[in-house]
Amino acid sequence: MEQNFDFSKIGKQMPYTVPDGFFDELEENVMREVKAQPAKKNKAKTIRMAIRAALAVAACLALFLVVKKNLPQGNNTITDDFDNVELAFSNLSTEDQDYLLEVYQEEQFMDNVLNESNYEESI
Amino acid sequence: MTDNKDIIQAIRENAEQGFRLLMAKYKEPIYWHIRRLVVSHDDAQDATQETFVRIFRSFEQYSGEGSFQAWIFRIATNEALRLLGRNQGKTMLSLEDNVTATLTMRADDYYDYSNVEVVKLQKAILALPAKQQLAFNLRYYDDLSYKEIAAVTDSTEATVKANYHFAKEKIIKYMNSNDI
Repeated sequence: MEQNFDFSKIGKQMPYTVPDGFFDELEENVMREVKAQPAKKNKAKTIRMAIRAALAVAACLALFLVVKKNLPQGNNTITDDFDNVELAFSNLSTEDQDYLLEVYQEEQFMDNVLNESNYEESI
Repeated sequence: MTDNKDIIQAIRENAEQGFRLLMAKYKEPIYWHIRRLVVSHDDAQDATQETFVRIFRSFEQYSGEGSFQAWIFRIATNEALRLLGRNQGKTMLSLEDNVTATLTMRADDYYDYSNVEVVKLQKAILALPAKQQLAFNLRYYDDLSYKEIAAVTDSTEATVKANYHFAKEKIIKYMNSNDI
């Protein structure tokens, strides 16, 4: 193909312009908007963490049930539900423990459950 | 100009300060990239603003692997396609859609039609299919590597090279023609 046209004669010129001070104004508009609505937490990461923690809890409970089933009846001193949960929790990694604590501290539903249980204990 | 690694580190340490560094480096290239696709200044302004808001909100989704610049241009390209789609009554245009914007002679403060060759080049680019247009713009104006362009357009380096080659051929043919 005959190549008379030479790109270098035009370079990066374009037939477009912007108003004076446009880019400064653009930056301020963006900063104002992001300050008004800060970045959200990474939802996918949070879900992955929650699934991992849930799996860890399930694995610990399964392990507990297997151990409990295989223990002689007379030696089975762990009968209280709270102890079961505590044992399962203690088998989690520190990271998973921290995550669960963080999640449940923010969980309004759990707050309500705890309040109800405290109320029942007091009466 | 600040290095991308420094920008990423700065955002992790202080989101606002880091983001100002990012904007200092990318606000003009991103605006012009979008403007070349959507043509209208008002549309380019909207899409550029939305692009940076999205970058800020989804920064944690950048894995650290692959070009940060390509990640930014990909978000910008999607915003431009979203806006073009909205203008055509669709949710978003895809790169398979053959229509982008057209350069029309308008009495507008933000166009400069004084150089006929410059206007003609832009018309030639806008007449290209979307994938060729993107390959040409990102290579010619933004100096992105073929690998980065492939990441922006969700394609392969070989396809991008082919698109760039075809785009150049078509532009040269158009520029050598008597069409205005």
